[in-house]
Amino acid sequence: MLKSRFSGLLFQIIALALSFGVVSLILISIDASPTEAFRNMFKGSFGEMRKFAEVLVAFVPLLLVTAGLLVTFSAGLWNIGVEGQVVLGAIATTWVYRYFLESDLPPALIITLAILGGMIGGAIWAAFTGILKVFGGVNEIFGGLGLNFVATALTIYLIFGPWKRPGVASMSGTVPFPDEFSLPLLANLRISPWALGIALIAIIIVFFLLQGTYFGLKLKAVGKNFRAAYLLGIPTWQYAMYSFLICGALAGLAGAMQVAAVYHRLIPSISSGYGYLGLMVAMLINYQAIWAIPVALFFAALNIGSIQLPIVMKLDSSLSGVLQGVLVLFALLVEGARQKFIKKGQNT
Amino acid sequence: MNVEFKNVNKHFGNVHANKNINLTIPSGSIQGILGENGAGKSTLMKVLSGFIHADSGSEILLDGVPVIMNSPADAIKHGIGMLHQDPLDFPPMKILDNFLLGMPSSFFPNRKEATQDFNLLAKEYGFSLDPENYVDSLTVGERQQLEIMRLLFLGVRLFILDEPTTGISTAQKEKLFTTLRKFPEQAMTVIFVSHKLEDVESLCDRVVVLRAGELVGELTPPYQTKKFVEMMFGKEVTLGERQSAPVGETVLSLNDVSLEDARLKIKNINVEVREGEVIGLAGMEGSGQNLFMRACAGLVRPVGGKIQLKSQDLSGKSYHVFKRNGVSFLPAARLEEALVPGLTLTDHFVLAEEPRGIFIDRVAGQTLTQERIQSFNIRGTPHTPVESLSGGNQQRAELALLQNPLSLILLEHPTRGLDIESVIYIWGKLKERCKQNASIIFMSSDLEEILQYSDRVLVFFSGKISQPLDANKTSVEELGELIGGKGWAEIGGEHA
Amino acid sequence: MRKNFARLVSLLFVFVFALSACGTPATEAPPAETEAPATDAPATEAVTEAPAEPFVFGMLLVGPYNDGGWSQAHYDAGLYVEEKTGAKMIYLDKVNPADRPGTTPDQLAEELVAQGAKLVIFNSDDMKDASTTFAKANPDVYVIMASGDQVWPDGKAYQEIPNLMNIMGRMEYGKMIAGCAAALSSTTGKIGYLGPLINDETRRLTASAYLGAKYCHEKAGKTTDLEFKVTWIGFWFHIPGFTTDPVDVSKDFYTTGFDVVISGIDNSVNLPEAKKLTDEGTPSLAVAYDYINACDAAPEVCLGVPFFNWGPDYLAAIQSAADGSWESQFIWSGPDWSDLNNHDTSAIGFVKGDALSAENVAILDEFIAELAAGLDLWTGPINLQDGTPYLADGEVASDQQVWYLPQLLEGMQGLSASE
Repeated sequence: MLKSRFSGLLFQIIALALSFGVVSLILISIDASPTEAFRNMFKGSFGEMRKFAEVLVAFVPLLLVTAGLLVTFSAGLWNIGVEGQVVLGAIATTWVYRYFLESDLPPALIITLAILGGMIGGAIWAAFTGILKVFGGVNEIFGGLGLNFVATALTIYLIFGPWKRPGVASMSGTVPFPDEFSLPLLANLRISPWALGIALIAIIIVFFLLQGTYFGLKLKAVGKNFRAAYLLGIPTWQYAMYSFLICGALAGLAGAMQVAAVYHRLIPSISSGYGYLGLMVAMLINYQAIWAIPVALFFAALNIGSIQLPIVMKLDSSLSGVLQGVLVLFALLVEGARQKFIKKGQNT
Repeated sequence: MNVEFKNVNKHFGNVHANKNINLTIPSGSIQGILGENGAGKSTLMKVLSGFIHADSGSEILLDGVPVIMNSPADAIKHGIGMLHQDPLDFPPMKILDNFLLGMPSSFFPNRKEATQDFNLLAKEYGFSLDPENYVDSLTVGERQQLEIMRLLFLGVRLFILDEPTTGISTAQKEKLFTTLRKFPEQAMTVIFVSHKLEDVESLCDRVVVLRAGELVGELTPPYQTKKFVEMMFGKEVTLGERQSAPVGETVLSLNDVSLEDARLKIKNINVEVREGEVIGLAGMEGSGQNLFMRACAGLVRPVGGKIQLKSQDLSGKSYHVFKRNGVSFLPAARLEEALVPGLTLTDHFVLAEEPRGIFIDRVAGQTLTQERIQSFNIRGTPHTPVESLSGGNQQRAELALLQNPLSLILLEHPTRGLDIESVIYIWGKLKERCKQNASIIFMSSDLEEILQYSDRVLVFFSGKISQPLDANKTSVEELGELIGGKGWAEIGGEHA
Repeated sequence: MRKNFARLVSLLFVFVFALSACGTPATEAPPAETEAPATDAPATEAVTEAPAEPFVFGMLLVGPYNDGGWSQAHYDAGLYVEEKTGAKMIYLDKVNPADRPGTTPDQLAEELVAQGAKLVIFNSDDMKDASTTFAKANPDVYVIMASGDQVWPDGKAYQEIPNLMNIMGRMEYGKMIAGCAAALSSTTGKIGYLGPLINDETRRLTASAYLGAKYCHEKAGKTTDLEFKVTWIGFWFHIPGFTTDPVDVSKDFYTTGFDVVISGIDNSVNLPEAKKLTDEGTPSLAVAYDYINACDAAPEVCLGVPFFNWGPDYLAAIQSAADGSWESQFIWSGPDWSDLNNHDTSAIGFVKGDALSAENVAILDEFIAELAAGLDLWTGPINLQDGTPYLADGEVASDQQVWYLPQLLEGMQGLSASE
C-alpha cells in the first residue's frame, strides 16, 4: 500500500512535470519565456482581490458542472450533454425572468423561481439524453453531443428571434435584466457570494450523496456493474435516470448562475465551455468529489490568468486550454503506465 | 520435452507462494499437479509459462538447458503453452480469425489455406468445430478445444492445463482426456493442474501435491484417494452423510410453463418445489438449465404458463418482484453478474440490507460485515474490494449476502472451481437454509455433487426436462446416460 | 491512490506559480519595458506631473487586430495616436463571445486598466452595454464607445456618463460612393450586399449604399433594372457554428447573377471569392469595407473600399483626456471633402480599386464632387421597405432619422429586422 502510494506520487509528479514541460516547449518554440508566462498567469488569477474574484466567477459554474458530472460518472455514464444542460438552465432562467419582468412579486422570490427554473430546464434537457439512452438505446455520448448542438441553435434562435432586443438583434444577447434581478454581488467585485455559496453547498451535498448515502452507493454499484447491480435488487435504469436528472439540475443551476449572477441576460455562449471543462476536471480528479474544489479552482484560475497572456505578452490565451488538456492527457497516460507498472511488479 | 524445476521460489510481498520447488517432469508424460486453492499451483505454472518471474536463484531447464522466459510469447517460442482456467479468446470473432491470431504469418493471412490446416488438425484430434462459426457461440469445452488447436498449431510441445475440467460437461471432459492421452505418443508433455482427485486419478501418469507453496509429495498409480486428501489438506476430509430434509409445503410451482431463447425452446414444464427441498439440475451446458433457472428467478419471461410462488402468481413479473418475494439468484459469473468489482465487502453487505433512512451507517455496516466474514469464513477484511478475493471467498461472500428469510435460492454452479473444503463449507451453509424452510435449486456439471446434495434431480437434454428423479434412487451412471440423451423412454420425459 | 494526484496537481501548480512569481522580478528588471505603470501604480499617482510618463490607452477589438477590416482600422488608429503623441496603446483583440467565452468586455477592460490604461476604447456595437457598465463602475477611467450613441443628447438612449464619449464616422457617404461604384460597374444591374447583423447602424449603411447605387444607376443611364439585395450573416464576421459563412453568401450572390457584392461586414472575404470565381469564368466584382488597404487582398476585382480613419478623432479625444479638457460628447464626423482620403483630417474615405474602369472613375469622381457640393441623397420622396412614407418629397432626413432608420428602404430586397 505504502509502495503504491509512493509510486502514485512519483508518477503524478511526472505527469505534472510533463504537462508544464510540453507547454514550456511550445512557449520556447515561439520565443516566449515560460516563467514569464506562468508568472503572468499566476498574477492574473491570484495577484489581487479583483482578479481572484474573477477566478471565483468562473469557479462557480465549473464547480457546479463538476459536481453534476460526479453523479453521472458514478453511475458509469458519460454525460457529454452537460454543456447543453448548462445552456438550457440559462434559457429556462431567462424565460422565468422574462415572465416576471412586469410583475410586482418581490425580486428575491423571482430570483429564486428563476434559479429553480434553471435547474428544471437543465434536468429536462438531461432527461432527454437519459430517455434516448434508456429507451432508445442511443449512447449518452452521441445523444448528449447532438443535444448540445440543439441547445446552441436554440440560444441563437431565441436571441435573434423571439427574445431579440427591440428592433436590434445582437450577439451581445438579450436585453439585460433590471439590477434587482441580479444575485447580490460583493461591493466593487463581480462575484456573488450567493452564487459561491450555492456552488459550495452543491459540491458538499454531492460529496455526501456519493460517500454516505444508500443512493450514492447504489449509483456506484450501477456504474461499476450494471448487471450485478440489477441482480442485487437495484432498479438500474431508474438510477441511471436519477443521475441524469441530478446532473442536469446542477448543470442547469450553473446556467442559472451565469444568467442571474454574471451576465444578467442570455448571451450566445452562455455556457462558456464550462461543461466540457467540467468533464476534464472530473476526469482529472478521478471522480472523487473531495478534490473537486481545488482542481476546479485551479482550472478557473488558468482560464482567468491566461487573459493576461494576450494583453501583456501578445500570446494567445488558448495556451491555458492547452495546459489543461495536456494535463488531463498526461494524468491519464501516466496513471495507465503506473497500473501497468504495479501489475508487472506483483503479478498474482 | 523434459522439464526441470530447480529451487524455484516466488514471493509476493510477504507471501511465499512457491517454496523451493524441485521437480523433474520426463518427456512424454502426463504430470498431475494437485492442491487446494491457493496452494501455489497456478503460480508455479505462471512461472513456467512466462507470465511471471520467479525469484532470483530459481532455475528452469528444458531438456537440460536453462532458459529464461520473459513473456508468454517467449514461452511459446520454447514450445510451452498454457490453457487457462478461462480460455483467453476474443468472443465476437469467427473461430478461424481467433485461430489465426498470434500466427507468425504475413499481414494478410491466407484464409483458404488456414481453413484447410484447421480442418485437418481438428480431424486429427476428433474436434468438430466449424471455422466459420463465431467464438461466442461455443461452449467452454469447445473454446478449450479451439485453444488447444491454436497452441498445437503454434508448435507447442508442453501443454499446461490449469483446471481444464471446470465448467465443461462430462462428455467434453472425456473428449479432452482422450486428446490429452494422445500427446505422450508424440513425445509431448502435459501438465495437468487440478483440485479434482477423480480427474487426476483417471488421467495422470504421475502426480505431485502442493500444499501452502510446498511440494509435499509425489504419487504414481495405483492411486489411493485417501492418500491424496491427506497430502492436500494434511488431514482426512469426507463429504459427510447425505441428509434429506423433511418435505414441506409447496414453495414454487410451474404450470405448463414454456420458455424460449434464441437457441432453445422448452415446452410445458410442470414442476413443484417444496419447502426445505434441494433440486439439482443436471445436463450438458446449454441444455436448458440456465433458461429454467432464470425463469424461476424472473429474469426470463415465460412465453406461456404460470409461475407461482407460495400461491402468489408471479408469471410475467420482473426479477425485482421475485426478489421481494424471497427468491434469490446466485449466478455463476461472480464478478460479471453477482458482485460489483470496485466495491468493498462492506459496500456489498450494506447494499444487500434494507436501507434504513438516507444515510449509511458505516459503523453498523462494518460490524455486520465483520460478523458475516467470520460466520462465513471469508478471507478478507470489510475494506477488501471483492475482485481481490479468491474464487472461493467470492462464492462465500455471495452466500453471505443472502437475505433472511428466503423462500427459494437459485444457484448456478455454486461450487465450480472451489477446493473440497470450500465445497463442504458452502453446502453446510446451504443446508442450514433448508432447515429454515428455504428451497434450493442448483445446477452443476458435477454429477457427484448433484447426487450428494439433491433431494430430487431434473435432467435436461436439449430442451427436454425429465420427471423429477429421486436422488436416492438414481446413480451417476443413470444420470450420465440421460445427460447424453439415452434412456429417456424409461423415465418418461416431460416433453419430447 | 489517485486521490493524491489532485492534491499534488493543485499544490504543485501553486508552487510552480509561486516560484515563477517570486523568481522572475530579478531577471525582469533590466529590460525595463513599458510594463512599469502596472507595477508602480502607487508611485505614478504621486508623480503625475512627471512629463516622461506616457499616457496609456487601452483598446478592446471585437475581431483580430489584423483582420484587414474594422478592427485593424481601429488598431492602426491606435498606432497613429502612439506616433503622434507618444502615448502607449495596450489592446486585447478577439473580444467576442465565441473567442473569449466566460469573459465580459467590462471585465477585460478592467484588465487593461490593471495594465495601466487610463482610457479604454470599446470598438464594437456589441460592447455597448459593457461600456456603459464599465464607465459607470470606473468613473476615473475615460471610455470611448465607438459607433455607440449613449451620450448623444438627441439620441434615443441618452444617458449622462461624464467619462464616456461616442465616436463614429459618417460612413453613409462612404457607402453611397461604394453603391455608386457598384452600380456603375455592374452589367446585370444586380448588386448583392453582405450584411452583418441587423441593427440601426447596418440598416442605415446598407440603405446608403442603395441610395448611392440608385443615383448612379440612373445618372449613368443604365438600361438594366437595378436590383439590390442584402443577406445578413448574423454577426460582424464569420464565427463557425454561430453565423452563416460570408464566403458562401458571396458565392451564392455571384452565381445567381449578382455580379457585384458589397461587403458590409468587418472584413472583405467577398474579394478572394470574387477573384476565384472570375478566374473560373464568372466575372465577379467586389467592394470591400472598413480598412484602407482592404483592396490589396484581390486588387483586380476590387472596385474600391470605403474606409474608416479613426485616427484624427481618437487623437483629439485622447489628447483631451491627457490634458484634462475631456468632455463627454457624441461625435459623428464626416469626411474632409477638400481631401477625402487625408489621413489627418478625414474621418472616412474611399479608395478606388483597380477594377473600376476609367470611364466609371470619371463618373464616380463627379458623384463625389456633387456630394462635396452638398448633394444629400437622404432627401424625399423616400418610402420604407413596407411602403410607409419615410421622407416626404423634398424633405431632408435629420441625423436622428438617419441614425435610427427603422427599416430598409423601398426597392431593397432583404430583411429589415431579424425574424
